[in-house]
Amino acid sequence: MTDIHFSSTPSQPWWSQLRAGRVGRALSEPVTLLGVILVTIHLLMAIFAQAISPHSVSALVGTPMQTPNVEFWLGTDQIGRDYLSRLLAGGQVALLVASCGIVIAVAVGTALGIVAGYLGGHTDEIIMRGVDTMMSVPELILIAILTLAIGSDLSSLILVVAVTYFAGVVRVVRARTVMLSTQDFVRAAELRGEKRLAIMFRELLPNLVGLLGIELAVRMSSAILKISALSFLGLGVSQPTPDWGLMVQEAMGVVYTDPWFLMLPAAALASLILGINFAVDGFTRAFGISTSEL
Amino acid sequence: MSKFPHVQIEHLLVRYRTGPDTAHTAVDGVSVNIRRGETIGIVGESGCGKSTLARTLLGYTRPGAWVAGGHVKIDGANIFDFAPSSLRNFRGRSAAMVPQNPLSSLTPHVTLGQHLTELIAFYGKARGREVRERALDLMAAMGLPEPKALFDRYPHEISGGQRQRVVIAAALVAEPPLVVLDEPTTALDKTVETQVLDLVAGLQRQHGTTLVYVSHDLNVVRRMCRRVLVMHAGKVLEDGAIDDVFSSPRTEYARNLVAAIPRLEATRPLVSAARGRQPRLVVEDLDFSYGRKRGGLAKMLFGAGKRPPLTLTGIDLSLAPGQTVGIVGESGSGKSTLAALVAGLYAGNSGRITLDGTLLSGRAAGRDPDLRRRVQLIFQDPLSSLNPRHTVESLISRPLHIYRNMTRAQARDRCVELLAELDLPTDILSRMPRQLSGGQQQRIAIARAFAAEPDLVLCDEITSALDVTVQAQVLKLMKRLQQERGTSYLFISHDLPVVAQMSDRIMVLERGQIRDYATTTTILTGQTSDYTRRLLGAFDANRTHSTQRTIEHVA
Repeated sequence: MTDIHFSSTPSQPWWSQLRAGRVGRALSEPVTLLGVILVTIHLLMAIFAQAISPHSVSALVGTPMQTPNVEFWLGTDQIGRDYLSRLLAGGQVALLVASCGIVIAVAVGTALGIVAGYLGGHTDEIIMRGVDTMMSVPELILIAILTLAIGSDLSSLILVVAVTYFAGVVRVVRARTVMLSTQDFVRAAELRGEKRLAIMFRELLPNLVGLLGIELAVRMSSAILKISALSFLGLGVSQPTPDWGLMVQEAMGVVYTDPWFLMLPAAALASLILGINFAVDGFTRAFGISTSEL
Repeated sequence: MSKFPHVQIEHLLVRYRTGPDTAHTAVDGVSVNIRRGETIGIVGESGCGKSTLARTLLGYTRPGAWVAGGHVKIDGANIFDFAPSSLRNFRGRSAAMVPQNPLSSLTPHVTLGQHLTELIAFYGKARGREVRERALDLMAAMGLPEPKALFDRYPHEISGGQRQRVVIAAALVAEPPLVVLDEPTTALDKTVETQVLDLVAGLQRQHGTTLVYVSHDLNVVRRMCRRVLVMHAGKVLEDGAIDDVFSSPRTEYARNLVAAIPRLEATRPLVSAARGRQPRLVVEDLDFSYGRKRGGLAKMLFGAGKRPPLTLTGIDLSLAPGQTVGIVGESGSGKSTLAALVAGLYAGNSGRITLDGTLLSGRAAGRDPDLRRRVQLIFQDPLSSLNPRHTVESLISRPLHIYRNMTRAQARDRCVELLAELDLPTDILSRMPRQLSGGQQQRIAIARAFAAEPDLVLCDEITSALDVTVQAQVLKLMKRLQQERGTSYLFISHDLPVVAQMSDRIMVLERGQIRDYATTTTILTGQTSDYTRRLLGAFDANRTHSTQRTIEHVA
């Protein structure tokens, strides 16, 4: 035991040291920083879109198909709505639906995953075979069927995302729980006579936090893409709500004459997904999730 | 052969990157010459830089490490100046390394035979049909039973000792004049270790190989080497003939290191006051087997792989207040299973376990809470037994909440008291286990067990993961706690000297059955079964180079 860590600056609480160190290290990588900046811009854009956009997102404010000009910076679309305003607000629905849906999916998936992984036996069998069934249906088809069944208003879409994504979370959480359950601290808790619920949520859950963070972010980017695809297919967000997927779909008709109608929403969507993925990669590396989690 | 010493290390400085602009110096200006055919041991606690130093002999540094100064010359040529191609040529032919974990150094999907034949062909030691013959010869020379049968097996199908012998065989294919062994027997049982060490020593004599042996186990180094380097914090503190260093260590650090070696001779005054009193723990005719269903638990506790069936038959044992019964045996002998049964991790098939006359039946969950409190189990690896996401305070206060109904404030006060009693700094309450040293972690685990104020503490290999000096501290602490509180211990270890040091009586288990059960003195004087004598011999043999003088001096 020579010069082992952490004893250096006892004045700071350990966590601020840890966080500062690791977040700092993550952000010192240019790619991660770019990812964080992209995500921040998109979040601000989604939150303040209506406040900063020059025109209404759904009103017909000018003649259709204007080229960019002083009043309409990015021109107008086929029926005369301001393109810039629609572009700024185009991520709102996807972001909102994806975040709410994924938070529900992760919460439900975690609970089921811990239960399956820790209790094992028949409980595990039942939960996991259910999960296998869900996972055997291709995601996009599952989403399509669900939207057709329960509709495509905001809360339905959230539910659709939650249902589509929780199964994957169950698998990942169960795998980690099985691994954690072999640890002696779980034996120790059992010997203390702790209740099963206490073991699952007091002993096991805190060890899943890093993993869940990653799950949340990774599945978020996937869900955003899926929702956009759904709008593109005409199953998700409907007119006149502005949405990038919908805008791409609208642009298909004029793609040869006015390609930016397609490129701009596509680029916006791509930059958001890329931002999330860059940020997740960076933080995963900085926090060494795969190794130091256990 | 050459006017140079075989290995010349001069002012070697190896650093590790620990942060964006911080580095840790692992090897700090070490200068050592090693003659051809010399056997040299490098000892020190974990983190002292001994493995890092050994690796540089093959021109390796771990990822994140770099050579900040000095050089390593092999036969007069600086190894760090080698071009990649000549370094590749040098490794294997001129120097070889036997790493610590034999399982991770063999490729899982490649048969043992292929591991060797590939190397034999690569080094051009044989061609065509002879390659196989040569591999079989090599395996036979390593003392592997039935080489022909093992030839087509996969690494996971053979035991740890056999694996390590295959790894050694692979290292010796090209008959390199320099062999570096990095803790080659740490993962092995004592009797297997003896076989492997004998093998290496024999090969060394036969070929006049220069042997560099890295270990934290001083007994092993003493057995294998003529010369020893004692390292601490990247520096060489002592360098000399092994008997000199052992008998008259010059530095305080080396003195402590030598004094901390558990010895079979070390006996302790028996807690005679305990005699004649009612036994606290009584185990009568206990049987246990996993039956057909060998679930996750067995796999979990004893690892996967082919092991003898884990059963216990006809175990009888009685333990008085304030006394210790030591349980020894090789891995798979059932010693941990016995502790698991008493603790209530699983239930025995037949037989009785009683604590002060109360039946300890079945699994812990079904026992009376007060009974659960009175029996505490301390695990081998504190990193596994302490939840890495809980603070020290939360870890120690949990039993206080559960068993003693303490409030948060009361528990906190008691935690501080316990930490002080266990010689731990009291400002570590808000730390996480990973932020503590190995010895501190294990003391936290001990504190957690004693927070329950138990009557019986089951110690399952509690010092196996610790350095020798830390082990000595922990053992001393355990003895003190026992004297102060009159707690009974069931002390389980594969390390006979450690058990002998702690126990009044010793039980030797082999494949789930009692081979011997007698007082420590009886066991040590060899009035026992052959099996126990062999086990004893494995430790005794570690002291072949030692002299009576040494023991007297240290004692």
